[in-house]
Amino acid sequence: MADDKDVLRDVWFGRIPTCFTLYQDEVTEREAEPFYLLLPRVSYLTLVTDKVKKHFLKVMKAEDVEEIWFEYEGTPLKWHYPIGLLFDLHASNTSLPWSITVHFKNFPERDLLHCPCNSVIEAHFMSSIKEADALKHKSQVINDMQKKDHKQLWMGLQNDKFDQFWAINRKLMEYPTEEGGFRYIPFRIYLTMSDRPFIQKLFRPISPDGHTHTLGDLLKEVYPVAIASDDEAKRYQVVIHGIEPLLETPLQWLSEHLSHPDNFLHISVIPAPSD
Amino acid sequence: MAERRLECSWKRHVVEQLKQRDRVQRHAFEEIIHQYNRLLEKSDLQTVLSERYQSDKYDLQNRHDSSPGLDLSRNDSLQQEMAQMRIRHQEELTELHKKRGELAQSVIELNHQIQQKDKEIQSNEAKMEEYQRQIAELEGECRELRGKLQDLEQANQTLKDEYDALQITFGALEEKLRRTTDDNQELVSRWMAEKSQEANKLNAENEKDCKRRQAKLQKELAEAAKEPLPLDPDDDIEVLAEDSGKGTGETSPNRPLSRTPSKRVSGQSPQSSLLGSISNIFGRRPGNSYGSSPECTETPSGVCADVRVPATALHVFEAHDGEVNAVRFSPGSRLLATGGMDRRVKLWEVVSGRCEPKGALTGSNAGITSIEFDSAGSYLLAASNDFASRIWTVDDFRLRHTLTGHSGKVLAARFLLDNARIVSGSYDRTLKLWDLRSKVCMKTVFAGSSCNDIVCTEQCVMSGHFDKRVRFWDIRAESIVRELELMGRVTSLDLNHDRTELLTCSRDDLVKIIDLRSNAVRQTFSAQGFKCGADWTRVTFSPDGSYVAGGSADGALYIWNVLTGKLERTLDKNHSSAINSVSWSPSGAYVVSVEKGCKAVLWSDM
Repeated sequence: MADDKDVLRDVWFGRIPTCFTLYQDEVTEREAEPFYLLLPRVSYLTLVTDKVKKHFLKVMKAEDVEEIWFEYEGTPLKWHYPIGLLFDLHASNTSLPWSITVHFKNFPERDLLHCPCNSVIEAHFMSSIKEADALKHKSQVINDMQKKDHKQLWMGLQNDKFDQFWAINRKLMEYPTEEGGFRYIPFRIYLTMSDRPFIQKLFRPISPDGHTHTLGDLLKEVYPVAIASDDEAKRYQVVIHGIEPLLETPLQWLSEHLSHPDNFLHISVIPAPSD
Repeated sequence: MAERRLECSWKRHVVEQLKQRDRVQRHAFEEIIHQYNRLLEKSDLQTVLSERYQSDKYDLQNRHDSSPGLDLSRNDSLQQEMAQMRIRHQEELTELHKKRGELAQSVIELNHQIQQKDKEIQSNEAKMEEYQRQIAELEGECRELRGKLQDLEQANQTLKDEYDALQITFGALEEKLRRTTDDNQELVSRWMAEKSQEANKLNAENEKDCKRRQAKLQKELAEAAKEPLPLDPDDDIEVLAEDSGKGTGETSPNRPLSRTPSKRVSGQSPQSSLLGSISNIFGRRPGNSYGSSPECTETPSGVCADVRVPATALHVFEAHDGEVNAVRFSPGSRLLATGGMDRRVKLWEVVSGRCEPKGALTGSNAGITSIEFDSAGSYLLAASNDFASRIWTVDDFRLRHTLTGHSGKVLAARFLLDNARIVSGSYDRTLKLWDLRSKVCMKTVFAGSSCNDIVCTEQCVMSGHFDKRVRFWDIRAESIVRELELMGRVTSLDLNHDRTELLTCSRDDLVKIIDLRSNAVRQTFSAQGFKCGADWTRVTFSPDGSYVAGGSADGALYIWNVLTGKLERTLDKNHSSAINSVSWSPSGAYVVSVEKGCKAVLWSDM
């Protein structure tokens, strides 16, 4: 069990080294240096980039500044995805640090959501938690909580406080022992080359005959392409939080320990690197 | 087992992968990024500073652009300017240091204030605790007091209930008492009625008895008149004590008739001596019919004579060998009786302006205090200082009864109007009522004071007392009906002929007439020289009630007119000492007064 606690801590404190560079076409008074930052995997872009914004605003005139937005190699980064997911999905096997370009103009309305203030992020975060609990416990646990508990979850995430967050979150990870697990596992499988943003389906952690489902079972069920057959070379990597768990890892355990703070298992399926 | 190993393997794989990831992604870059950010800050600061310097420098350079040859001097001036700038910066620095010191000072002060406030807060909290403790105590006391109050209220309530219950029982008891009192009163009244009935019956019986005896007497007299009776000079003198004789039932006048014949009768024929013997027995009154009891021709009812105020003394004579205390005319105006300290009652006859001695009644052992004739004039009652009253028959001067029983000298004795009872008043402060037939004292009333004189009406006995009071007694009830208070000791009482007015004489030298119907003093008589001489000085009405005569201590006889209230006459020539008693003859013609000095004076207006 000590391992489980370590797993939780490692998942929470995961960081990605990032280099923020101002878009060259932005009008600046003088040359802007890049800004380096260790971004937390479990947070959201617009929540942790205040310093970045301040750094670049130093060299810009006020009238040239509109809403900040980020892109990587031409792809606008959706702020409502966790940072870890964005990295795993887009830049998993590239060289570190991760280079993100900062824009202040020409906000891509079609690709990104606006994020005017932190309460928008809070609303998105809380709705994800509620959706996850609906799948896990038919929303009973989240509805039994008081508003201050919800607030504590958000504050824990915002201020990077592991204990504060998990004091409440552990209630969401409980399940009645006769069930053996959650009702359904909240997960999303993200694909790089697909029109769909993600795959999300109802999937039980325990089969009707008592057999524990694993990650492999899930993929077989939902996206069998991801699993290579024995003779083929591995074509896809299944990445969660920057690691590739074994396919026989139980899904219930994964949901309890490797979920993001919003209680979802965000799984990235990326093409395997060809050496 | 296999499962656990299996479980451990994937878990271990996950743990290892996470550690690997962190090594690669985080630890490698953490330090670098941190240092990079610090350098960035520093460079920003340097940029700001250098911008400031650059602007100054460019200004200087612009000014010295025209003379490129003076490099050295430019260098010197540049150096000077640099030095000046350095100085300025040093000054700014010192100023900033000073400001910092001031700020630190203010910080210290604020800290100090905060500490003070904290102390205040602590003390306030301590006070609050104190107050709360007090409040708790007071609440405790309050609860206790309320508890006590409740107890007291309960006790009060129980007391009230008890009180109400007691009130109810009291009411019931009062009701009971009222009812029993009513019953009692009813019983008492019934008893009184029965008693009065009994008394009536007794009276009726007494009267019947009396009539029977009278009838018997008449019969016997008639019988006796038929036979000659020898008279025996030796008479048995019956001295009867008051307690004996209740059973005899015979009246004394019968005894001498039957038992003691007198031997004075000379030998005459029975028939012819009958009248003589009768006249011997009954007194020298030939022509009078027999029978003492029915003889009532001389009862002075109504005004029988014209009253004349006497003016002169007709006869002055020695009556007794000592003080003369009492004088009385007989109802027929012929006889006069006087009583004195020589223990005798002397009888006189008024004949032609003179009083001739007729006889003396003896038997008393001490001085005579008062004399009365009965209404027929046949018996004489005298009260004496030897504590007894005596009755003689007038005609034969024989003592008939002695009534003893008083423990003091008897000062007055009177017949009641029915002549069968006698009331006597004595120095022993009692009045006694005697019945003549049984010769027994029927009643004794304690008057409270020595009784000086008595008069009687049909219902009432009036007595005058030493304590200045006149007491009115009801004869049947033994109680005082009324009391009248005078100014001095009452010495004498007299009634007028129709018994409506009472004459009193008292030691304050006033003679008063009291109306008996209204019980008020109607008139008062006094005179300059009139002084009551003794406690037994007697005054009298005239027979018609129009004059009042009384004797004074200086020997003068005063006569007042009742109608005018004024002194009519003073007759002071003939007495040499205090006048004790006065009597007016029923005919109105004569007045006799007797004095201390043994003399008696007969007055008339001729």
